[in-house]
Amino acid sequence: MSRHKISFSVNGERYELEVEANQTLLRLLREDLGMTGTKCACERGDCGTCTVLLDGEPVKSCLVLAVEADGRGVTTIEGISKGGEITPLQRAFIEHGAVQCGFCTPAFIVAGEALLKRNPHPTEEEVKEAIGGILCRCTGYRQIIDAIMDASKKGEK
Amino acid sequence: MPLPKFDYLEPKTVQEAADLLAEHGEEARIFAGGTDLLVLMRERVIRPKYLIDIKGIEELCELSHDEEKGIKIGAAVTLNQLIESDVVRERFGALWNAANSIADPTLRNRATLVGNICNASPAADSAPALLIYDAEVEVASKRGERTIPVQEFFTGVKHTSLKRGEVVKAVRVPNPPRGARGDYLKWGRTRGEDLAVVGVAALAANSGKIVRVALSSVFKTPVRVFEVEKIFEKGGPTNERIDEAVSAVLNRISPISDVRGGKEYRMHMTEVLTRRALSKLLGVGGD
Repeated sequence: MSRHKISFSVNGERYELEVEANQTLLRLLREDLGMTGTKCACERGDCGTCTVLLDGEPVKSCLVLAVEADGRGVTTIEGISKGGEITPLQRAFIEHGAVQCGFCTPAFIVAGEALLKRNPHPTEEEVKEAIGGILCRCTGYRQIIDAIMDASKKGEK
Repeated sequence: MPLPKFDYLEPKTVQEAADLLAEHGEEARIFAGGTDLLVLMRERVIRPKYLIDIKGIEELCELSHDEEKGIKIGAAVTLNQLIESDVVRERFGALWNAANSIADPTLRNRATLVGNICNASPAADSAPALLIYDAEVEVASKRGERTIPVQEFFTGVKHTSLKRGEVVKAVRVPNPPRGARGDYLKWGRTRGEDLAVVGVAALAANSGKIVRVALSSVFKTPVRVFEVEKIFEKGGPTNERIDEAVSAVLNRISPISDVRGGKEYRMHMTEVLTRRALSKLLGVGGD
């Protein structure tokens, strides 16, 4: 199997690594870099709990090869808050009870942050569309949608 | 489960990709979005020894529009790139709606239109739209290049007319007839991420004299029903023509029963969706 030298950044920090061809970005993050905030569940692109940002765009990291990250920037849940301060979206998740077991939360936060950056004032339909690829089995989505909508309204002030 | 082992290859030109395919034959697979391929590999349905990533080939990343020739969608163009295109949204409405109906927006950052058709599922959402727009598939191999009308591209469940060693470069979609309006209606079990129970792409132009219908998930391949076109060419009361068209569609399809719906249900929903799509495009009452 081929091995590849890659150079990429995760949450602003630069990494130079050698990866095997069959390694996914998900496993690289979790197993080699110890960033276990990104979750591994279905590994077939259905559940969305492995969502990270690749050059700012949400992707399911179980279906991205590690070698493909070469030259690119990855953002995971570990890189969302800055300087020990949680973001308005993270605060809204707490206030709305949008977290129960917490397994899907990193994915929803990452996808929600990407949405609000691209579209600071989404409609509820746009929020539903943007998080459509992530499964939550606890909250029924209502609180998650409310939290993202609320964070977008607070962004107006 | 980890992915099986393979070598990852990164050609920089179509020629290099074609050479690699010629060299490795059946042991190699083209890799673009990976949203179908990596899933099949993880489940050990297929075990390629080589993955040929075409995303580093500049010309395959291009989505372009030409007033004469229509749009050209490179093999590495993602569905979200297609959705973001104003030309696609304004002039190729059925294709734009179809792209929006595939999986979810996160997967669409990776999934490609060409991958959707090369996977050749009978449920491929983009296929009916490409059929009604008379799209063509440009392919290259070590032997040279050829163009396959999309009408001849799908040969069976998960089978295409691509020959050994051929790589798809792009899909060309000619401009639709002047004033044409198109739509794609997808019926799934949920509003979110699911394969279609039935999908109907329709196009209408020239005051209802030009009408085309193609469907997904109700035949062994995506299928365009040419009988519909003859029915509308002769003119006459629109409601009667729609009734005839619905009958022609139901005569042409042969859906199966599976986890997403029974054969009878698919027949029924095909009637509902075909009627709905045509009524809307032709501006007559309907549901």
